[in-house]
Amino acid sequence: MSKVNWKILVIGLGVTLPLVMLLATGFGNDPKAVPDARTGDPAPHIALADLQGNTWSLEALSGTPVLVNFWSTWCGPCKYEHPMLLQAAEAYSGVQFLGVIYADEPKAVSRFMLKPPYKGLMDRLTSKDIDYPNLPDPSGRAAIDYGVGGVPESFFIDRAGQIVYKSTGPLSPEVARRELDRIMRK
Amino acid sequence: MISLLGRGLVLAALFFAGTGCLAGFVAGSRRNQRAWEWARNSAYGFAASMIAANLLMVYALVTHDFSVSYVAEVGALRTPLYFTIVSLWASLNGSILFWGGILGIYTALAVWSLGDRHREYAPWAVHVLMGIAIFFAFLVASIANPFAPVLNPLSDGPGPNPLLQNHWLMAVHPPMLYLGYVGMSVPFSLICAALLAGRLEAGWMVPVRRWMLIPWMFLTVGINLGGWWSYAVLGWGGAWAWDPVENASFLPWLTGTAFLHSAMVLQRTGKLRDWTLVLGMSTFLLTLLGTFMTRSGVFNSVHSFTQSNIGPVFLGFIGVIFTYSVVLLALRSHKLDEEATATDQRIGQRTDGRSGILSREFMILLQNATFTVFTFMVLLGTTFPLLAEALAERRLSVGEPYFDMFALPLGLTLVFLMGVGPALPWGSQAPEAAVKHFIPGLVLGGVLAGIFGALGYTKPMTLLALFLIGFTLYSNLYEFIEPVRARMRARSEGPGVAALKVWSKAHRRFGGHIAHYGVLMAVFSLALTKGYRDETEVVLNTGEVTQFHGFDITFAGGRWTKEEHRDAVMARFEVEGVGAFEPRLNYYAGKMGGNPIYTPAVYTMPTGDLYFSILQLDEPSPGNWTVIVRLIDQPYQTWLWWSAPLMALGTLITLIPARRQNRKPEAA
Repeated sequence: MSKVNWKILVIGLGVTLPLVMLLATGFGNDPKAVPDARTGDPAPHIALADLQGNTWSLEALSGTPVLVNFWSTWCGPCKYEHPMLLQAAEAYSGVQFLGVIYADEPKAVSRFMLKPPYKGLMDRLTSKDIDYPNLPDPSGRAAIDYGVGGVPESFFIDRAGQIVYKSTGPLSPEVARRELDRIMRK
Repeated sequence: MISLLGRGLVLAALFFAGTGCLAGFVAGSRRNQRAWEWARNSAYGFAASMIAANLLMVYALVTHDFSVSYVAEVGALRTPLYFTIVSLWASLNGSILFWGGILGIYTALAVWSLGDRHREYAPWAVHVLMGIAIFFAFLVASIANPFAPVLNPLSDGPGPNPLLQNHWLMAVHPPMLYLGYVGMSVPFSLICAALLAGRLEAGWMVPVRRWMLIPWMFLTVGINLGGWWSYAVLGWGGAWAWDPVENASFLPWLTGTAFLHSAMVLQRTGKLRDWTLVLGMSTFLLTLLGTFMTRSGVFNSVHSFTQSNIGPVFLGFIGVIFTYSVVLLALRSHKLDEEATATDQRIGQRTDGRSGILSREFMILLQNATFTVFTFMVLLGTTFPLLAEALAERRLSVGEPYFDMFALPLGLTLVFLMGVGPALPWGSQAPEAAVKHFIPGLVLGGVLAGIFGALGYTKPMTLLALFLIGFTLYSNLYEFIEPVRARMRARSEGPGVAALKVWSKAHRRFGGHIAHYGVLMAVFSLALTKGYRDETEVVLNTGEVTQFHGFDITFAGGRWTKEEHRDAVMARFEVEGVGAFEPRLNYYAGKMGGNPIYTPAVYTMPTGDLYFSILQLDEPSPGNWTVIVRLIDQPYQTWLWWSAPLMALGTLITLIPARRQNRKPEAA
């Protein structure tokens, strides 16, 4: 075996075998799943002022199920899910919906809210006395506390203040209904 | 019935692959004529049964035989015929069957083209090729069986993934990539054959390089079509996102391109032998990695099939093939050394054996080094999330900034080398003569950068890219035109006759130059789209007008349409002086039912695209529509799509067999 080219053997196996082993570590994962370490934890504290200057805090809402939705006007999917969220806020008036505006200009938000279909849906909520405040988060503090990786993300919080479910990406009506029912029941 | 027949064909393919592999080994090691005939016939047998199995599946799909498991999985009565045929590769099991079918086609063509020449190598090549075939036939016969019978078949099925039905490009992009991926098994087998036979003559490198060129061409076209599909369907106006699976197709392209160049050095000078073999083998190994990435569920990507138990088996195969390649190279390369002396001597007549820094082979060496770094960086970025998760249990993704960081300088280095290399002769040359070549190229580069600078494209990297493109364009054009002029002078022939004579005689070299123009077109497009893409989102009500990049765009409202296999809502935009465009949201019934597939509309001009992509479309009151639309100005985008046909054309010209010539071959 003196004719073995050890250089090729050692370098070759040194590169390829660890690569194969590394690939093998990926089998247990569901690649589409995003970890949500926060599920089951108490919801981090939020105290932010809405666009009108009224302060909203989770503590003050204790005992009420809450849906916290992180969004921004530059995010297409956020806008895509918004009409559904506003309709859900109307249907589930027992749940407090909070929009947290992520990395965005309050001006852009105000402008956006004056346009259809947002305006019409919002007016309808107001006429029914349902609050759906949108809270600018200029320091990004709330987003960091909630571990937001990208917008939109929604957190379903039950009456006890625990995060029951986290959704990443635009919410489908089915998931929204299922999870809203769950936090209403708990 | 079809289930039974299909299973029979797949088992026959497995049988032929087994006998072919065994007979190839006997024929190679004992030089046994009967074994060689067995091996060859088995290879044809494998090809015939795999191709027949594919045709049978297409028949089952077209006749909606829902008693076949794969048809029950992806078929639907409402799906148009065209997409029904395309469903052959719409899901995991069908795609593996299709893979086997293409391997069959390649096997038959490779064995046929080798004929009875290269008798020392050919049996070994069949041995390796059929070894690979055993694995794929085994997959189709066992865990990925698409012919499994359904006991109580339903009368209709869910139909293929909506994304596949949404655009005609999906009918071409996957098969092109498959032709690229699967085809790489042929040069791999031919290289293994040289190692197993213990010799590598210049004559054997000819089929090796040709069989690399063919899948390389398909891979090039496949990658480009994938980018086009992403641009035309996904709605974000981009062609490439450094997604793990995109990277997986790019990796073998990088090593394959490096191989095509280093093989020229090997053929001419006998140098870089082991390195060239490593590149050739890695190219195939990387295609396996790419296949694994889409099918294992390990990577998250737009391309991922659903999770399946095929992953571990496939990874086992990758492990075996990787180890086999390394061990084969380590054990047998010394044999090639002993054999190489003769080859080196023969080649020694052409050059003096030494290479200066200003020589073509040195530039190819630099180019190879650049390609290797490129490959390594892409591989690192692609697998790093897995590494982070395995070692630090952190979930992260590596995004565009990382890849752009090195892709830009490395890409531009390659463009530069592509300009310098062809301008230099083989062997060594006095620097003055080389530099004289470069000056007009530098001037053209300056002019090109100057023109675009004056048009407002003033970012330094864009200007640098344009400068290098001009430089490289000149040096490749010079190589194209100068021999024609020389002949016109020497023989007082007209330009047409001289061009025809010169180009047909050295068509392989000119094919290479044409492929280079294709690359330049792609770089040109990327340089301008990367730096100067502009986008905006606007909300418009019916009748409202917006201005964007000099276009007056009126939103004329929306409408619903019903087609055979889908519903769609579209927004109509009227662009003054140009026409109307209708981006749409398509709704498919079935698995992903309800979720719309966004389909943009594009106005293409040579200098740029105007891209419409709907984000939201509502009709709050009858006849009064509201749209949120993303408008993108994408300068010189269409040049990217045309680069692939040009590269393919260059490759095809290179593939034309050389005519036998009595005179000494020209230095080509």
